Parts: sequence; C-alpha cells; structure tokens
Amino acid sequence: MWNGFFGLLKKDFRLMLSGRFFVLALGSLVLYSCYINFVYVKLDQEIYPVYLYDPQETQSVISESVTKVESREALEAACADRYSVGIDLSAGKPELYLLSSGLETADHYRMIWGEAVLKGTAKGKAEVIGLHNKEMKNRREITAEFLFFELSAVGFLGLASMLFKEKQMGVIRVHGILPVRRSVFIFSKLLLLLASDLLFTVLLTGVNLGFLAALEVLPAVLLQAGILSLIMTLTGFLCAVRLPDFRQFSLFYLVLAVFVTTPVFLAGQTGIAWKWIFYHPVYHLFRAMKSAYFSMSTTSVPYYLFCFGGIVLLFLSACRTLKLEMAKEG
Amino acid sequence: MNGLRYQLKSVRRDKMCILTFLLPVVVGIAIHLLSGMSVQSISETSFGVVQNEAADDTVTWLRQSGTVTEYESSDALFSAVNEPSTQMIGVIQEGDAIKTMISGDELEVNRVIADTLPQAYEERTEPLSVERTLIHVEADREGLKSLLTAITLITAMFMGCTFNAMNMIREKEDGIALINQVLPLTARSYAVQKILLGFIGGTASTIVTALICMRTESAQVLPFLLILLLSAYLSALIGLFIGTFSSGLMTGIVVIKVVMILFLAPPVFFYLIVPDNAVVFGLSYILPSSAAFYAIMDLFNRQSAKLWPALAALSVHAVFWSIVYKLLWSYRRCRHGGV
Repeated sequence: MWNGFFGLLKKDFRLMLSGRFFVLALGSLVLYSCYINFVYVKLDQEIYPVYLYDPQETQSVISESVTKVESREALEAACADRYSVGIDLSAGKPELYLLSSGLETADHYRMIWGEAVLKGTAKGKAEVIGLHNKEMKNRREITAEFLFFELSAVGFLGLASMLFKEKQMGVIRVHGILPVRRSVFIFSKLLLLLASDLLFTVLLTGVNLGFLAALEVLPAVLLQAGILSLIMTLTGFLCAVRLPDFRQFSLFYLVLAVFVTTPVFLAGQTGIAWKWIFYHPVYHLFRAMKSAYFSMSTTSVPYYLFCFGGIVLLFLSACRTLKLEMAKEG
Repeated sequence: MNGLRYQLKSVRRDKMCILTFLLPVVVGIAIHLLSGMSVQSISETSFGVVQNEAADDTVTWLRQSGTVTEYESSDALFSAVNEPSTQMIGVIQEGDAIKTMISGDELEVNRVIADTLPQAYEERTEPLSVERTLIHVEADREGLKSLLTAITLITAMFMGCTFNAMNMIREKEDGIALINQVLPLTARSYAVQKILLGFIGGTASTIVTALICMRTESAQVLPFLLILLLSAYLSALIGLFIGTFSSGLMTGIVVIKVVMILFLAPPVFFYLIVPDNAVVFGLSYILPSSAAFYAIMDLFNRQSAKLWPALAALSVHAVFWSIVYKLLWSYRRCRHGGV
C-alpha cells in the first residue's frame, strides 16, 4: 500500500517537473513580487494641490502646501487638471478658481480645502484607530488577492494539464488494473499540489510582507490557503476527469476566471455593497483569506463546517467520477 | 483567399476561439449596464456616523462633501473604518464640534480630509470670505467607467494575440502543423492567413464592444478606426510570435498571461500616476498597448494631444515587428535547413 503510494507520489512529482509546473509557479512569484514592490506599494493619491497668484505679495506667511505662480494664465493652466485648486489674490476679494472634477461632492470639499489653506486653518489631527499604515495595508491586501487568484486559478490549471497528459498517455486505463486504491491516485496528487501551494504561500507572504509580519500571519493564512487549495484542486480534478479534452476545460476555466473570481475581486477591493455577493461561496473564501492577512477573526464555525463538508463531498465525487472514467476506459 | 476560408472553417468548430472574441463583448455589456451612480460613489469620499448620535445638520453638511453611511453602534462604525477595502472616515459628534477617526491606512487625500474636517466644520457657518469660481468642464462625468471601457477595448483589440497563439499551439499539438509542411502552403501565406484571422476577429470584437459602450462623435470615428486597425494587426502579429515560439499549451498560456498583464497594467499605471511630460511616460510607448490606451483615453476626454504620437508609435511598432518576424523566420529556416 505505502510502496504504491510513494511510487505514485514520485510519478506525479516527475510529471509536475516535466510540465514545468514549478517554473510557472516561480515565474508567477517573481512577477507578482515585482509588481507589489515596485508598483502597488507606491500607489497613493495626494491631497488637492493649491496654486496661489499673489502679485501684491499680500500673504506674508504661505503654507507649505501652496505653490506660487506668476500670472493668472499660469494659475488657470495649473488648474486644468480638474484636481488642483487655484487662489487669485490680484483683485480686492480673494477668488477661488477651480475646474469641476465632475463630482459635486469632491468639488465642494475642494472649495472648503482651498479656503482653509488660504486662511491657514488647514490643520488638526484625526484619531488613528487602525494597526496598519498605508504601505503595510497595501502589501497585505494585494498579497491576499494575488494568492487567492494564484490558488484558485493557476493551481487548478496546473492540475488539469497534468491530468490531461496522463489521460493522453493512458495512465487512467493502466491504473484500472494496478493493485492501488483509487483514492490513493487522487490523494497523491492532492498532497503534492497542497504542498506546492503551501510553499508558494510561504514564499509569496515572506517576500512581500517581510519576515516578521509574515511569521505573525502565516498560521492563519496557511490554514485558508490549505482549504482553498484542496477545494480548487479537487474541483480541477473533477472537471479534468469529466471533460473530454483540454479545449473544453479551458472554456470552463475562462468562465470560472471571469464570472466567479472577478465579482469577488471587485467586491473585496472596492467595497461595493452588493447584497447578492453574500450568497457567492467563493466570496467567503476570499474574505477568510483577506481576514487572515489582516489578523482579523471574522471567520466562524459554520464557515469551517461548510469548507470541511465541501472538501469531503468533492473528494467523494472525485472518487466516483474516476471510477466511472476507469469503467469507460475499460 | 481559399486558405482563409479553411482557416475560418476551423475556427467555427472551435468554441474556445469564438469565446475569446465574445468575452470583451460580454464585459462591455456588463460595464454598460453598471449604473453611473454606483461607479461614481466609489470615487467619492465616504464618511461614517453613528445613528442618532450625529446631529441632522452635521449629516447634511457631510453629505455635501461625500457619501454618509449611518451605523447602529460605535463598534460597527469602528469596524467599518478599520475595514481595509474602504477609505471611510469616521465622524463622531462631540457637542458643537466633531471628531474624526481613520484607520491610518488611507490614501493621503483622505488622511488630510480627516485631519482638517473638524476645523472646517467649526467654520461652516462663517460667511464666505472668498469668491468662488467653479468652471464646469464639458467632459464625461464617469471617470472610472471610461477607464474600464478603455481597458475592455484594449483587451478586445489585443484578443487577436490570445486567439492566434492558442490556435497555432493547438494546431501544433494536433499535428496539423506537420501536415501543413507537406501541403503546398508557403510559410509566408500561412503567416498572412493567421494574421488576417486574428486581425479580423480582433477588429470585429472591438467594433461590437465599442458600439455597445462607447459614445463617439463622428469626427472621432476615423482616428479610432486607425488605432483599432493598427492595434489589431500588431496583436495578431504578437500572437504569431507566441504561437511560433511556444513549445506547449502550458508555456503558451503562461506567455499569454504575462503578455496580457504587461499590455494592460503598465498603460493604466502610467496614465494615472506618471505626468505626461516625464521621460518615463515617453518610454511607455515601447509597449504598443500603451499608445492605443492613451489614444482611446484622449478620445474619451475629447482631446487630441496624444492621438498623433500614439498613431506614430503604433505604425513604428507595426513595421518594426513585421521585419523582426520576417528576419526570425528566415533565421529559423536557415538553421533547420528547410521549411
């Protein structure tokens, strides 16, 4: 029994090596990490810049957030971006000059802001109640999203390409007469993919969050990654065994990527309030992953029960489908 | 011409290929259906208050500057402010004044708004000391929506790349590539057929998507068509590159994934973050999709500053990559000593 299992494990590992599975994962890791560290972390939106035209030098003290310009034309040109606020002191009464940004509320605040800067009252401090600064939040947020996508889409595809290769080579038919149980056939693949997904999780988290922060969140993240990996691998296995060729499988993959993960991503990233998203099972997996990265305990017992039940159900149906497929192959 | 007919026939049997082109159209419909309001509310400043604690006039005052959500308890407000996916500013009423709280992970603009809001609230009843000139600009009010539409259009234009690459790799795996070698089909006419196929598909898909979710003036149709034709040609050519030089389906998928990310992420990033006159911005024209993206955003904003540089960049790309493909192909032929 154990000999057979290790034999299968070795064979699957070789198949993954020859299918360049690890090279792909490494490539994704480098690509994601470069994007996070060089682009995403730096994303910010600065406060409305204020430009001042003051030919008579009436303002002796100028706040550091103000840029002086030499003429009315320069002031108008600087405000053409529909974001900046201009102040013209050349006439008797100060004039706030701004181009509408298209949002009434934003325009209203821009006017308040321009006035406050002019009067020098733009100060104060809001109470900070969170634990993370912007950079750390960005890192955690995007790492959670990339990991979710990688596990839900790419692992799924990797398993399918492996299985289709095996199908082509007739491994399933050969397996029908081998003295190894069917569940072991699934189990060896599951174990390998789970291990590689967990390794990917550790590397992605370590590289992008830093060693200490990663250490803090990894236990919770690994648990969620494990759940997601098992569910996706089993779904991938089911579909790959069921569907006759890779072409149909890629169609299914496209549907999954566009219609299953995109709404989840939109809801998670922008905070759009859609009521129906609560009934989207993948949304809860995504929320759990994100909560794990932010060390928030929002996951509950029913969630884990559902996950466990789902995994068992998927495993049983994978066994059944494999049995049917073997019967079909003779 | 006959060859093209066979190519179209093979495409008709391939659901995946048809879906590749239908995808941008579906996304276009989804964007079109997204109501302007729901997209707009994302870019507004959002404030959170505790129900019954905040005075009515405070809420009315806040609503002038952003959206206001009322929460049942302060705990609910705390967790909404702390929620990483929102930029919410918590506002607490303290007698005649207000206090603000943030999570600390907000964008600079929201951080500063939260810092200065209590002072602005105190001064809200003071008479205006300045004259306000707000100029309404004639432009579309849906910044995010036009950005999403532009991204979808670029995806549609460059779908020819995915389509061609997948199609060719599949032909290789099915052994059709080997059959082609013994057929009286020259490498040149094969390349021309494939480019035409990706080109026609990409163009058709983009035109349908544009008809669904883009409103253009008649003067803009010609520049748009020029950009579309050049981009669709380039994408078909890139697909040819990937198809020719990828060994298997998995490698092809990964290359397509990388190419699509490279084609979509940098243009959006450069457009939003980097100022127009920076050297880096000029360098971004190295990617053909950047040129197409800037030109389309220009069309949306009713401007034409980036239109001609973009068209020039696309033309240079088209000529350059055609020559590179030709050279690479002859190099391969010399090395393999045959077709």
